[in-house]
Amino acid sequence: MAWKLPSLNRRAFLKTAGYGGAGLGLLTPIGQLAGKSGPEQTTDADDTSYSICNFCSSLCNLKVTSQTRNGVKRITKLAGNPHSTLNRGKICARGQSGLRQTYDTDRLKTPLIRVEGSKRGEWAFRAASWEEAWQYIDAKAKKAEIQPYEWTMVGGWTSCVFYMSWAVPFAMANAIPNIIASPMQHCVTTGHIGTDMVTGNFNIHDEVLPDYDNAKYILFVANNSSIGAVSTCRMVRFATGRKRGAKVVALDPRRSETAAKADEWLAIRPGTDLDFMLAMLKVMMDEGYYDALFLKQHSNMPFLLYRDSDGEWQPLTDAEGRPRVLSEGSERLYSLPAYSNRNGSDVEGNPVDPALRAPDGFEVDGKPVVTVFQAQLAELEGRTPEWAAKSTGIDAETIRRIAFEFGTTRPAIVDPGWHGARYQNMMMLRRVQAMIQMLTGGIDKKGGWIMSGEFHHKAARMIEAREKGEPAGPPFAALAGMPFAKFVVETFSDGNNFPHGRPGWAWAYSDQERAAGREYVALPVMADTGLKESVEGTLQWNGEPYRTRAVLINAANPVRHYYPDSRWKEILGHPDMELVVAIDVLPADTTLWADVILPNSSYLERDEPALYGNGVNHDLALTTRYAAIDPLYDTEETPDILLRMSNIISGSEYGLLQWVEKLTGLPAEAVKERYAQKRTQMEHGAFSAACREVYFEQTAKRLHTTPEAIDQTLRERGIYQEQDREALLEHAAMPRKLPLPSESGRVEFFAPLFHALRQGGNRLPNFNVLGGHIAAECRPDTPMDMPLAGDEFYFTYGKTPTVSYASTNSNNPVLAAINQFKREIYGGVWIHPDRAEALGIRTGDRLQLRNTATGQQTEGDAYVTRLIRRDALFIHSSFGSENPKLTRAYGFGTATSKLIPYRVEPVVAGFRSQEFTIKVSRLDQVAATDPTRSANVLTPHPSPLPEGEGESVRFANDSIGGVA
Amino acid sequence: MTRYAMVIDLNTCVGCNACMAACAMENQTPVWKNKWRTYVHDKEIGSGEDVHRRFFPRLCNHCDNPPCLSVCPTGATYKLDNGIVKVDEALCMGCRACAMACPYDARLEVTHDDVETGREFYGEAYRRSRPSMDKCTFCDHRLEQGLQPACVETCVGSARQFGDLDDPNDPVAQMVARGVARPLMPHLGTRPNVYYIDDLKRRG
Amino acid sequence: MDVTMSYTTQTVWTWWIAVYLYLGGLGAATLVVTFLTDMYLKNHRALVLWGAFSGIAMLSIGSLMLFIHLLDPLAVLHVINPLVLFRQPHSWIAWGTQFIIWMMWWGLFYALPYLVQSERARRVPLLGAVLRLKVMTRLSNRCCLRFHKTIGWLATINGIGVAVYTGLLLQSFPAVALWHNPGVPLLFTVSAFSTALAYLLLLLNLVIKNEEDYYIKVFYERTDTMLIAGELVILFSFFHYMAAGNESAFRSAQLLWQDMGWLIGFIGLGLIVPFLLELKGVIKGWASRLPIVTASVLVLAGGYLLRHYFMYAGVYAHPW
Ligand SMILES: Nc1nc2c(c(=O)[nH]1)N[C@H]1C(S)=C(S)[C@@H](COP(=O)(O)OP(=O)(O)OC[C@H]3O[C@@H](n4cnc5c(=O)[nH]c(N)nc54)[C@H](O)[C@@H]3O)O[C@H]1N2
Ligand SMILES: Nc1nc2c(c(=O)[nH]1)N[C@H]1C(S)=C(S)[C@@H](COP(=O)(O)OP(=O)(O)OC[C@H]3O[C@@H](n4cnc5c(=O)[nH]c(N)nc54)[C@H](O)[C@@H]3O)O[C@H]1N2
Ligand code: SF4
Ligand code: SF4
Ligand code: SF4
Ligand code: SF4
Ligand code: SF4
Ligand SMILES: [Mo]
Repeated sequence: MAWKLPSLNRRAFLKTAGYGGAGLGLLTPIGQLAGKSGPEQTTDADDTSYSICNFCSSLCNLKVTSQTRNGVKRITKLAGNPHSTLNRGKICARGQSGLRQTYDTDRLKTPLIRVEGSKRGEWAFRAASWEEAWQYIDAKAKKAEIQPYEWTMVGGWTSCVFYMSWAVPFAMANAIPNIIASPMQHCVTTGHIGTDMVTGNFNIHDEVLPDYDNAKYILFVANNSSIGAVSTCRMVRFATGRKRGAKVVALDPRRSETAAKADEWLAIRPGTDLDFMLAMLKVMMDEGYYDALFLKQHSNMPFLLYRDSDGEWQPLTDAEGRPRVLSEGSERLYSLPAYSNRNGSDVEGNPVDPALRAPDGFEVDGKPVVTVFQAQLAELEGRTPEWAAKSTGIDAETIRRIAFEFGTTRPAIVDPGWHGARYQNMMMLRRVQAMIQMLTGGIDKKGGWIMSGEFHHKAARMIEAREKGEPAGPPFAALAGMPFAKFVVETFSDGNNFPHGRPGWAWAYSDQERAAGREYVALPVMADTGLKESVEGTLQWNGEPYRTRAVLINAANPVRHYYPDSRWKEILGHPDMELVVAIDVLPADTTLWADVILPNSSYLERDEPALYGNGVNHDLALTTRYAAIDPLYDTEETPDILLRMSNIISGSEYGLLQWVEKLTGLPAEAVKERYAQKRTQMEHGAFSAACREVYFEQTAKRLHTTPEAIDQTLRERGIYQEQDREALLEHAAMPRKLPLPSESGRVEFFAPLFHALRQGGNRLPNFNVLGGHIAAECRPDTPMDMPLAGDEFYFTYGKTPTVSYASTNSNNPVLAAINQFKREIYGGVWIHPDRAEALGIRTGDRLQLRNTATGQQTEGDAYVTRLIRRDALFIHSSFGSENPKLTRAYGFGTATSKLIPYRVEPVVAGFRSQEFTIKVSRLDQVAATDPTRSANVLTPHPSPLPEGEGESVRFANDSIGGVA
Repeated sequence: MTRYAMVIDLNTCVGCNACMAACAMENQTPVWKNKWRTYVHDKEIGSGEDVHRRFFPRLCNHCDNPPCLSVCPTGATYKLDNGIVKVDEALCMGCRACAMACPYDARLEVTHDDVETGREFYGEAYRRSRPSMDKCTFCDHRLEQGLQPACVETCVGSARQFGDLDDPNDPVAQMVARGVARPLMPHLGTRPNVYYIDDLKRRG
Repeated sequence: MDVTMSYTTQTVWTWWIAVYLYLGGLGAATLVVTFLTDMYLKNHRALVLWGAFSGIAMLSIGSLMLFIHLLDPLAVLHVINPLVLFRQPHSWIAWGTQFIIWMMWWGLFYALPYLVQSERARRVPLLGAVLRLKVMTRLSNRCCLRFHKTIGWLATINGIGVAVYTGLLLQSFPAVALWHNPGVPLLFTVSAFSTALAYLLLLLNLVIKNEEDYYIKVFYERTDTMLIAGELVILFSFFHYMAAGNESAFRSAQLLWQDMGWLIGFIGLGLIVPFLLELKGVIKGWASRLPIVTASVLVLAGGYLLRHYFMYAGVYAHPW
């Protein structure tokens, strides 16, 4: 039937109406009578400003639209900044919903002080003025005589990325050697250091952006939200690559968003990726699927090694400690420069063709000597696809084929990975992935891993200074890569850097444990290991107790983000804990445990104190935030809070300014002057604004322009482009043009960092100088391929496309609604139907989950799906908020921090957050037998959205099931 | 003439929901009761071990032969020359016949209560003053400014593409003409203008 | 596109629309039958007054159902304006609304002379005052009586329009096979007249109770028997159409033909039982009124169930 009977359509009707049939005209007034008003009435012009998203460390560039109506300016829309080559004008669901954080009715609107007589964890706060809050903190600090080293700072990625230049100087100025940074044990140190040990490029938040656009083969290993679910700058590139026909393979025990876009989904057994990668590395090295020229020229593969009397690998060096190599086809030894990007000529300038293999039985001074290449191959002895097939559950043929495809397709990318943690072998996994990538020579090259513009820029300057023998300059501005990591380690591990002589408690704790002959963490960089002990008074330093009695938390939520939550509740709720100050924008679960909550303005309400690099963008560009509206509430800026806190802790503000200058180069005098001016004009944010002005001026000088010109460009485009990637790579491609910021300047298969640590006595397999095997230990002394009990599962988790970490944006009304729409998938416990059936579990059933190792328990709702391996459970790690003040997030989903025990690996205290198994049962069945079952468990909370408003919203109540 | 159309490439939709959020913010939809102009479904398909996960975005198809329009008694539903099907909030009485007629479940209702909540939620910037049925407009207010629809602009997978079927050089028109992109349920005779690129073909 | 479908029913138009469709069809058919009876079978004031006013009441209640569920009741003005037919000639609701409105007017005009003459009506407080107005008498005599047949036919045409419209409305929803077929207007029209006859039989048996109306009753019973038989035949063909139809139809069939409310409630008690009762009445006659009254009540209840189940069993096939 044609529904379009011959008729006037509305347009035609309106036209004829103009000729005025009285009757037709009758219709119009009805509209007016009905109070018609459409978008047409909006005559006010929209305002555009530019900013940076604050929902994850992908740091997308934003275009912010606001509208003024009836004198009220309101943000109406966020979009990707179209001028940005980072996120290419796009932003994810979190980015889009960002403006609702500012307008979230649950926001922190004034400082809050815990009422007398209440306990931490109860949410009993009274609104206070800023002065009251400062006085309260001051009085408390004085009364309890809190020493600088008794303070601990906890910072989330926001404070890392945007305020590191104030937070670290704050620590130094106030002699606080203790900083815990949220991203470290989860991603930056556990995962990235693995990668960085090969490429040398450590930075605080990921510095490699693979060139998916141009890749022909892409292999994803244990990652999802870093790509498809979603890191926008990566996803936009990946989408292009896929459209252009790249073959995509994903290793993931479940069909994640990213794995859903793969041509081949390899549902690997959790914790065994390293086995897969080692087998792949072996096949590639055995079969010659590598770029030999690149390895010879730009890596330490040809460097010679021997085993010392302990059986430890030692580099064969000349008298001056320079690496030695053999030239192809001869047995002559050549010394190469200690720091260089190429191996093509020796220290005397003789051309060398470094051999990847020493002849069989080659000896120097009676010791058998081999190349790193050979040592690595020996390390891979027995790591065949057949061996890996056993643990990974992926057949040997497939592993061999993937190695072949990857090794023979150029350009190919194995994604470096982002979130680390999970297993003690994760750092090694990321390291072996980097080795595989380096075998193809795919670094700083079209279709390979490309380092960020900012990183190139810094590294180039650092190398230039090094070559000239000049001092590098303020470390934050001048140190790139591993030297920066080293700087951080040296600063906090050495008590001599502080007037009180104490290193951070994490380092003191490592020393104590080591002295006691117990397992200890070698490099607890900004980690939480030892905090609990220092709070409880069991940590000694030089024979004295080393206590933590005050905590300053900025933009971090350890109760949800660290493991287990009970540990953090004990720490923050400890009777000896004198003062907990939290800076946040929303009543996060951790703020429940504070004494004072200081409200920060939201990212859309603030100008930032600095210009920033453009994240992982290949192009070199500057950007910053412009406040789209004035702060809605009585909120303050981070640098200003730190300034005031300096006053309280060390009685001086100027110390902070000086340390900022020392570390970043921002001139203290100029800032001081500007601040004196601004504070007479502004109630809040004067210090921040002062820093910003000086920062603009300083940058203008470097760029030979004016601050006004930078400001104008940024106001018009949000991005100040300095150089595009082609130009950068032409002179700064590493290691082809410049040395890498690694120890040797080359790509490092043999790891000098671990070599040094082994020399210092760290001999666990975690400190292997080469790529080697480390097993995941989910059950004591039981290999991963041994059968599990009928109700037992490996535990896996991952992030949700609509939530950042387990952050407060699960409370964002738009995101919360999407989470409700997909609540089974996002909020549920994924379980395979074959296993579920055997346990009598159906989608929606309330489950009890129990950690078999520790007995930790929590609950969840079953989501039965074939998108997960039979031996694994999966939950999204974004939920489980316990603060009822987060009205939309409260009670949704399952908190990982209730299941994960405190267990860390020995290198950087990375969380072994999946190294256990879980037993599952239906709650009604447990409840019948065990009356104590729900201690420490959230009671399910009615959803804030109407019941039955779900997936098929209109038709929610009567779905007749789909047909596959 | 311009004839707008959208092509959705299921091969690169990652189910990120950015389009849902973008549309909601752009068009001030009643998110508080989980009503959207566009949805992205997350489906498990295939049998046995051959299991896939498909993300399936959907929205109004701006049918050339829209049953929602032919059933509309008030004339609130109308079609622009460029093919966009719209609802005039002043004319609509909210009988919901259009929702019943639409085979693509593309309509949502905005009630009196929603208008009030909307005023609180979107504040001064809230544009609506009457309740009515609502639906995707292909963001024609943005098209007029030379912008792409909000969902298309932000689509991180570039899964959503927008174009003009009457422009032979438009990639969208070409994909449609070549039959790479195909409409949903064409047998119903609605002649939809949202086309999909299959994701199962590629997997073979 | 290779798609995987999901099948779902709707919660947009639920019982209140079923009531609207039911009372619309019933009310309109009641008016039609009353007037035709009055015009061609027997001049019958009581029947006209009862039939017309209850018919109008049913139409009003039905329309009220629709009205109170509107998102923006004020905007209903756009459909009440008859010019809507020029703008939206393809919209059955537009036609239906006009049919209903005009049906009520013509019904009122047709019944007015009887009302004006009715002593009882003139004694009703407010109504009586209105009826005693001169205009009323003039209107009644000069217009209504003069064009009585014309008005009767106008009412009849509009009434049939309303009854058919209730089916056409559903037919205009193309996604649902159960609705989108020419059998629906037919089924709804037959059902409308069948329920109207049942309703009038109730009136004649319980309210008007006039021995002289025996022939009318027999005529109504006979007609109703045939209509019910017709309905059963249409349903039988529906069953076959759905069982071998597309997925939407097939799923609706699954919903309907496995539902006791539909099978026993509607087909059994709403059609077959009254059919047998009336058949016996027609062939042999009944000693008491009870069987026919029972049959009528069952037919009326069945008529609602038909609409109710039709609304709920419409299955949309969604390719996601
Ligand atoms: N359960 C769980 N834990 C995790 C992860 C996970 O996915 N799930 N991911 C891990 C990883 S990889 C990382 S990097 C870390 C990240 O951990 P964090 O860096 O701590 O992450 P966020 O949730 O972004 O930030 C924490 C707090 O910052 C607040 N906040 C947001 N915006 C602002 C602001 O503008 N100013 C201030 N002062 N506060 C603000 C939020 O309300 C929140 O309470 O988490 C790790 N832990
Ligand atoms: N939506 C969203 N995106 C984000 C962030 C966010 O908070 N939210 N945060 C950003 C930050 S700071 C980080 S660190 C990155 C993190 O990004 P990713 O490192 O990609 O982290 P997840 O999304 O947690 O991805 C983990 C995937 O690994 C799978 N997995 C779990 N165990 C194993 C295993 O043993 N083997 C294999 N092969 N796979 C396994 C899980 O199923 C999941 O799909 O995301 C960034 N992007
Ligand atoms: S990926 Fe999303 S949340 Fe992260 S910065 Fe970009 S827009 Fe924001
Ligand atoms: S998709 Fe539905 S609402 Fe959109 S034009 Fe077609 S019938 Fe109308
Ligand atoms: S709800 Fe509004 S747009 Fe839809 S058919 Fe009714 S009057 Fe038309
Ligand atoms: S085109 Fe505009 S209105 Fe339609 S779904 Fe996309 S964003 Fe929403
Ligand atoms: S924004 Fe694009 S990729 Fe994301 S869910 Fe929507 S259509 Fe898919
Ligand atoms: Mo992270």
